[in-house]
Amino acid sequence: MAFTFHFPDVGEGIHEGKIVKWLVAVGDAVKEDDVLAKVETDKAVVEIPSPYDGVVLKLGAPEGGTIRVGDIFAVIGEKGETIEGADAAPPKAEEKAEAKSAEEPAAEPQKKGKARRPLATPHTRAYARKKGVDLHAIEGTGKGGRITDEDVDRAAAGGTPAKAASAAAPKAKAAPAPRKAPAGRIEAGEEGPVEVVPVSHLRKVIAENMTLSKQTSAHVTHVDEADVTDLVALYKNAKGKVEGKDIEKLSLLPFFMKAIAAALKAHPLLNASYDEAKEEIHVKKFYNFGIAVDTDEGLIVPVVRDVDKKGILELADEVADMAERARTRSLSLDELQQGTFTITNIGPLGGLFATPIIRQPELAIVGLHTIQEKPAVHEGEIKVRKLMHLSVSFDHRIIDGAEAARFMTDLRKIVSAPELLMVKL
Amino acid sequence: MVVGASVRGCQVAVIGGGPGGYLAAIRLAQLKKDVILVEAEPSLGGICLNEGCIPSKALIHAADFYSATKTSAVMGIDVEGASVDMDRLIDWKEAIVQNLTGGVKFLAEKNGAEVLHGRARFKGERALEVDTGDGMQEIEFEQAVIATGSSAFFPPGFEPDGDVILGSREALSLREVPGKLVVIGAGYIGLELGSVYRKFGSEVTMVEFLPELLEHHDEDLRKTLSKRLDTLGIDVHLGSKATAIEKGKPSVITVERDGETFTLEADKVLVSVGRRPNTGDLGLDAAGVETDDRGFIQVNDRMETSVPGIYALGDVVGGALLAHKAYREAKVAAEVIAGEPAAFDNVVVPAVIYTDPEIAWAGMSEREAKEEGYEVVTGTFPFRASGRAMTLNAPEGYVKTIADAGTKRILGVYIVGADASEMISEAALAIEMGAFLDDLAGTIHPHPTLSEGLLESVDAALGQAIHTLNKGQ
Repeated sequence: MAFTFHFPDVGEGIHEGKIVKWLVAVGDAVKEDDVLAKVETDKAVVEIPSPYDGVVLKLGAPEGGTIRVGDIFAVIGEKGETIEGADAAPPKAEEKAEAKSAEEPAAEPQKKGKARRPLATPHTRAYARKKGVDLHAIEGTGKGGRITDEDVDRAAAGGTPAKAASAAAPKAKAAPAPRKAPAGRIEAGEEGPVEVVPVSHLRKVIAENMTLSKQTSAHVTHVDEADVTDLVALYKNAKGKVEGKDIEKLSLLPFFMKAIAAALKAHPLLNASYDEAKEEIHVKKFYNFGIAVDTDEGLIVPVVRDVDKKGILELADEVADMAERARTRSLSLDELQQGTFTITNIGPLGGLFATPIIRQPELAIVGLHTIQEKPAVHEGEIKVRKLMHLSVSFDHRIIDGAEAARFMTDLRKIVSAPELLMVKL
Repeated sequence: MVVGASVRGCQVAVIGGGPGGYLAAIRLAQLKKDVILVEAEPSLGGICLNEGCIPSKALIHAADFYSATKTSAVMGIDVEGASVDMDRLIDWKEAIVQNLTGGVKFLAEKNGAEVLHGRARFKGERALEVDTGDGMQEIEFEQAVIATGSSAFFPPGFEPDGDVILGSREALSLREVPGKLVVIGAGYIGLELGSVYRKFGSEVTMVEFLPELLEHHDEDLRKTLSKRLDTLGIDVHLGSKATAIEKGKPSVITVERDGETFTLEADKVLVSVGRRPNTGDLGLDAAGVETDDRGFIQVNDRMETSVPGIYALGDVVGGALLAHKAYREAKVAAEVIAGEPAAFDNVVVPAVIYTDPEIAWAGMSEREAKEEGYEVVTGTFPFRASGRAMTLNAPEGYVKTIADAGTKRILGVYIVGADASEMISEAALAIEMGAFLDDLAGTIHPHPTLSEGLLESVDAALGQAIHTLNKGQ
């Protein structure tokens, strides 16, 4: 098995060098630590030792040529070996290719002739990965050079007792940052490098649903602005008075859910669906709200049932639980179905307002937008008030603009005057 | 959500319900992932539970127990009329297997992983097709874990035929003790099962292609093993190749050694020459997952394959084909998928061969350490000097510790003897922790135990052995 030796990071932020002289040629036998080449960086000329025993199969750059950190520096293998596949799939730290024949349980796949492992306990190794510290790059202060947690802390803080410039020390290979979603692979496109990302099941479903909705409904969005100063005050006041775990879970969202349920009772056409085949409108006598949840892989909309019948704390609890389970994909199918209306709470993410897409076969969706302190006329005076935009996207096939405007006006009144919400609960 | 009739989505699809796959599925479910575990066979547990580690250990224990009735006279215990009823033995073994595979299914499902029985094939980088026997089920996943394991390889002409030629699966379910058993391949499976049937009364002959038993290991180990095989009455032909078989009663096997040919008679032939990764029917090309020229999937230390989002572990990625290596890799893969900074950074994968006496090791042999360029110091303690071994009537074997001569850091431990399998974990922990000889020497080991053997071998390496003579003494 041939080893591909990449030009190492020689430290001090140097990321490229010039090959001054190769001291070996293709076909030469080399031993670990034999000098392969002299490389000039903008700081000095350094000698690059071989990390392996073997025969030189390939040199990565000609004399006088420039080489960058990570480029193939040399390929070293066994005599007569070809270099095909030497740079193939990611080699495991243990060098899978080294593994003995498949016949019997080989001894653990120990690497040969390579830089020795840093001496650290499994605990310290895991700790270093969490801290993003490469154990190869630090000198242990413990017995026999053992790397301790304290050594890792020092390295993480930047004050590392840097290892004596062993040019071959592989660097920065520890702890790649956890990715949120699987990234794609980079391909060379005609116009430049392109990351090709395979589409997940969830993304396909979202794409289908969105396209279907845009093709089905005649979308119109109506926007209004509400003064929620008093509602926010009520919420903060309540949060200060509830006890135990209720403090944690209480949020503003359930207040809006109750307000929307109240407004929908006055404007039932927005809590309905349209059966085009039968040419019937199905006005729902129950209030099941889809709540849009942003997850790493995409949008998921769990449904909270009977919003009109539940208390605010109860709703807060359910929303928190469902959002968490949406993120861990542990919602059951029926928790995603039978919605009558949808709310998308994009306010915390900023923006003025948006025009959400209706969830089929529903007829309307409300967007809750950012609450901002702004100067506003209040009781005849200019005051700093908490204002927010509310939007409702509706299906103009069934709902006319006037009805949507009446619904929105009612909703604005309710959220602007919590006492109105109280009497409509 | 709108979900097509036969297409379903999940966060993670785990292919293969053997030790690696079921552990990955359980761990992923614990980490709140929505998991589908796809298993081609009717029960979970893979080769290990169904036709490998567990059933073979049941038979080995029974054979040792039976064998002990013949050596107990020295303790004044005479056992007459002891006999083996293979029917009842195999039923007992099968009850153990069912208990365990049922337990695995229970754990997987209680943790929230869904188990789907069927044969999986990749349709692309994010989709699998599962043939469930009564229809195709398409699964679209965000991440996949390939843990399809390996299967026994049979040379042409030596495929199991349901009669004369046995694989390990068949050899673990024989309802009758064969009169003459020829074992082709003296690796760990051949050695273990050959010894079992010898103890049950078969005439056993082994044919091994390699010139030595357990190549790459220490000379002392081979000597102990050869001596024991000899005592048991097992013939071993090294450097020999079985080239042909003429089936009959008995069957006749042609064997070549050094250009010469001889024949062996057999009622049954156990073939255990190696294992191959189960990657052929997986549709890896459709996903773009790369394998090496022997079909093993290439992964890095985060168990990532060449395709982002697809992971592989266990036998199918090569290395030591051992369930406990798969267990560890499965934990790493699950944690990487959950976004944790995990990596397979283990120094040792301990290994056990359940011969009589057992052989277990962790880390490097003396030979390997020297090849790595270490100057080594070793210490050996023979169990014939152990009080506990004597009282167990099990004086065979030894413990050998290999350390770096300079720093005295422990590099490897070999244990040959009764319960070596149970004792090796202390050595594995020591090496994984980066222990020095004096770390072990300074740890009190209970008396009288076999595990004192490890302490004594460490003391011997330090030149301060008490119960054996030190070098140069």
